[in-house]
Parts: sequence; C-alpha cells; structure tokens
Amino acid sequence: MKKYLSVFKISFAQEFAYRLNFIMWRVRNVMQIILVFFLWDTVFSNPGRVLFGYDRAKILTYVFGIMIVKSLVLSARAADVAGDIYRGDIMNHLLKPMSYFKFWFTRDISSKALNLLFAVGEFAFLFIILRPPFFLQTDLLALFGFFLSIALAIFIYFNLLFMTSSIPFWAPELGWGSHFLITAIVIEFLSGSLFPIDILPLTIQKILFISPFPYLIFFPIQVYLGRISGSVLLGGLAISLFWAITLWLVMNFIWNKGLRAYQASGR
Amino acid sequence: MDKAILVDHLVKNFEVTEKTPGLMGAFSTLLSPKKKVVRALKDISFSVSKGELVGFIGPNGAGKTTTLKVLSGLLYPTAGITQVLGFDPWERRPEYLKRISLVMGQKNQLWWDLPAIETFELNRAIYEIPKKVYKESLDELVTLLEVEKLLNIQVRRLSLGQRMRLELVAALLHQPEILFLDEPTIGLDLVAQEKIRNFIYDYNRKHSATILLTSHNMDDVIDLARRVIVIDDGRIIFDGILDELIARFAKEKIIKLTLTKEIDTKELEKIGKVKSIQFPEVILRVPRSAAAVAASELLQSFPVGDLTIEEEDIEDVIRVVFRGEAKKLSRK
Repeated sequence: MKKYLSVFKISFAQEFAYRLNFIMWRVRNVMQIILVFFLWDTVFSNPGRVLFGYDRAKILTYVFGIMIVKSLVLSARAADVAGDIYRGDIMNHLLKPMSYFKFWFTRDISSKALNLLFAVGEFAFLFIILRPPFFLQTDLLALFGFFLSIALAIFIYFNLLFMTSSIPFWAPELGWGSHFLITAIVIEFLSGSLFPIDILPLTIQKILFISPFPYLIFFPIQVYLGRISGSVLLGGLAISLFWAITLWLVMNFIWNKGLRAYQASGR
Repeated sequence: MDKAILVDHLVKNFEVTEKTPGLMGAFSTLLSPKKKVVRALKDISFSVSKGELVGFIGPNGAGKTTTLKVLSGLLYPTAGITQVLGFDPWERRPEYLKRISLVMGQKNQLWWDLPAIETFELNRAIYEIPKKVYKESLDELVTLLEVEKLLNIQVRRLSLGQRMRLELVAALLHQPEILFLDEPTIGLDLVAQEKIRNFIYDYNRKHSATILLTSHNMDDVIDLARRVIVIDDGRIIFDGILDELIARFAKEKIIKLTLTKEIDTKELEKIGKVKSIQFPEVILRVPRSAAAVAASELLQSFPVGDLTIEEEDIEDVIRVVFRGEAKKLSRK
C-alpha cells in the first residue's frame, strides 16, 4: 500500500511539472462548458419551453453536472499506456515488484484528485458569472447512489482504457488512432457528455443502456438529479457492476495475451 | 559451484509483419499482412555461477539483448528453460524482481521532469527497502558514481553521462544480486565510460553480484569480463575465457622481424601481408597455419637478425566478432 502512496505523490509532483499545460487543459474544459451552456441556453431561451422532458433548469444543471462528473471519470492518466507500450517504456515498470494496473490506477486517482480540485474552482467561477438555476440533491440515498455509480464508472473507464491501450502489443502503430476512436468518439458521444442520452429515440436508448457507456457520465448525473431512483437505480447499478467485473476479467485476459506477444522492441 | 543463471535450449521467435514500401504497399500490408517469423534465439544454452561477470558480445541483432530480456522476465520464451536464482523469470514474482536489475543504456526509468532523488524515493517504496539500508545504499552509490551534486536537479537538465550514472543508482538501490547490463556505456565520453566501468568492477567485487553485460565497446569487454560468450545469428559460437577467444578466432599471426640490411620489400609480400616497415623493423601478417613455414622461409632467404611470432591483438579479434565474421570462422 505504501508503494502506491509514493506513486500517488510522485504522480502529483509530475503533473505540477507541466503547470502551464495543465492550466491550458482546464481552460479548454471551461470553454467547452461555456459553449455547451450557451447552446442549450439558446435552445431554451423561452422560459416555458420543455424539450425531451428537460426544462431550462434541468438541462443547465445537467451541463454543470457534466463538468464535475467528467473530471472525475474521464480524466485519466492511463491514456498514456499505449504510448508506454509503443515506446517500450513499459519495460521499466514490468521489471519492478509492483502491479502495473495498480500503478496506473493510482496515477489515475492522483490525476482525478488534481482535476477535481480545479473543477470545483471552475464550477464556483462559472456558477457566479452564469448564475444558472441549480439543483442541490439532499436525499442521502440518492447521494450514496451517485457516489457508488461514480466509483463504478471510474473503474469501467479504467478497464476500457487499458483494453484499447493494449492494441500496440500486436500493432504498435495503431495505438493513437484506436485510442482516439474509443475515447474521443465513442465515449464522448455515447456516455452522455455532449447531450443527455434520454433525448434519443427510445430503441437506441434501450440498446445503449445495455452497453457500459451511459454508466460513465449520464447515469451518475441522472442519479444525482433524482431522475433515476428506486428499482431503476438498483438495476442500473447492477448493470454497472456487471460491466465493471466483466471488463476487468476481459482486460486481464487481453493483457496476459498481450504480454506474451510483446516483443519488447523499441530500443 | 552455485549456478545463478541457467539457460537450457532457449528459443525465442518473433512474429513480424513485413512492410512493403510506398503508399500502395502500406495498403496491401493493411489488407493482407504478410507474417514472417524471425528466429532471434536458436537454441542457446549456458550457465553462469554466482559472482561471475560475463561479457556478451556479437554483432548487431545477434540476440544479446533478447537474451537479457528473456532472463529478466520481459519476453516470453518460445521454447526451452530459463532459471535465474531458482525462479522462472517470466512469472515475474516480486521476490525475484527484488533481486535483479536490468539497466539498458538507451532506456531510462528516471522521471524526466523531476529530480532524480524523487525516483530514488519511489524505488525505495516499490522495492520496500528499509530506511537504513536505503540510506547506506544511496550514500555508497552516490559516492562511487560521484553524483552528489546532481540529485536535486531536474533529470531533463542533465547530460547523458550524468543521467546514465543516476540511472545506475536507481537500478542498484535495492542491491540486486543479479545485474543485467545492456550497453551501459553507449554514447558516453571516455571519462564517463571509465567511471562506469570502474564502478561495475567494484560492484561485482563488493557485493559478489552476478553480472551479465552486453557491449559494443571493446574496452568494456576487455576491462571487465574474464569470460565471454559470443553470440551470432541467435547461436552461441563461443563460450570461454577471453584469452581463448584469440586462439579460436584469430585468422592470422603476426611476425616481427629485425632486418640486418635493407632489402626490396616486394620480396616480403610473397610471404605475407606487410603491415608496416620502419627499417630495420618489419611487421608481417601471415595465416595461422602458415606461420611456421613462413618463419623458416624468412630466416633462410632474408637477412634477418631477429624474429618473433605473436598473436593478433585482442582488439582485432573482437572487431572480427562485432563485424559478424566470427560465424564463418567457427564453422571451419
């Protein structure tokens, strides 16, 4: 355990080595939120308008929810794993008496901690300048469900990242492309980080809710907003848990195969 | 004697996709990849005793680094048995990893943007080194490698030679019993090379550590290794004492003459290759098998005052090995 505490510390120090980079990344996030905010603000400019079951207050809360949940779930250092394999740097880690997964999971947690710290600051800042109507959840059960779904989402995303990152074991040059496809397109689109998923046609929604993606962003926010509760909440958590375990097993299987195929090239 | 490393009929194949050049080639590779099996190690066997320092030499792509990677658990062997300190390296058990270290001259483990001391502290935690041992170990390494002043400087600001020495510190903090060194002096200037070599020598002595070293640097091999293993094209073609290497691979002998009067050097060319003439000294190279005949002919037909027959320089022999010409010779 002490090992990983040290990894956490050095990881934190490393993030600070690129302060400017980090700040630019956060600025990008803020800009994105402002853009999405004004998009929906315009759509709902008529205060009485209700679209897809969302009124102005709810959709704007959703937008702000995305900011916090995204910085918790989708900010992950493990995105560097593909490059680690491609460059051969993974060798340094494999040589050490330490779990490679736990190493990156710890780095993820440290990155999330830092991102969350900033997200809270930005949240306050945007809240003050935009003054959106915001919904504060006070039901303890809903809050508990929210944190549980976040924890599962973090783990699911970690496994998804590690699975796509293992491609360079077999095809070193595909690393970046596949990662882009998975994170930037599939996850951004299907997780609900651009728009709430329940505005989609019902059949598509049904299919999506069997997949792990909505449980990354959309589901936790809905739980927070109290739009999902009771048996639907339990069902969602069960599917989430199912995916967390399944993806963990699949990821381990792929990694064991990958390490055997690994050629440890790259100087 | 206790065997630290045992390698028995080790085979390692790589599957590679052949690439056809050009844009069309890239497409055809994508659609129907041609797989080719590269046989990196073709059935090699050797063993190393505890405390031995063995040099691995051979031309580029011979399989030296592949061997080290299999032994340190990075590569999964296609066939054969490898055992290091009684462990199967591939399992990468923590108890095993705590007792070995692999240093690659071209790979760094130090965190690029942080001072080296941060990486050392991290390694202390990862290897679970007790505080007291860590302090002693660090003090010793820092003094031996003369890096006291570099510990708190961001790694990316250091020179290659400084970084390499710090890499060694990071790799040795846990006092490994087995050390795999892959080209430890690559790209370093002569002074830095010397420092690293002296250090390896001392470490081997002090900790009776078993060391396997690959290098393209002649001096590394000559200064450090008593025993060498020559590997070429995935096979071991020599395994023995450095001096024996000459007897095995030297193609020629050197005949040194002192002439009593000046003669036409063309006549000498008939006997052997003239390497240098600085009257009255002449140096000739003759094939090993013809050395005795050549010597008697020289004594009979030339005004020779003195004559000695010598072995080729070790450097020349190793050069032959690095050029990959040793393989031809060993088949004879």
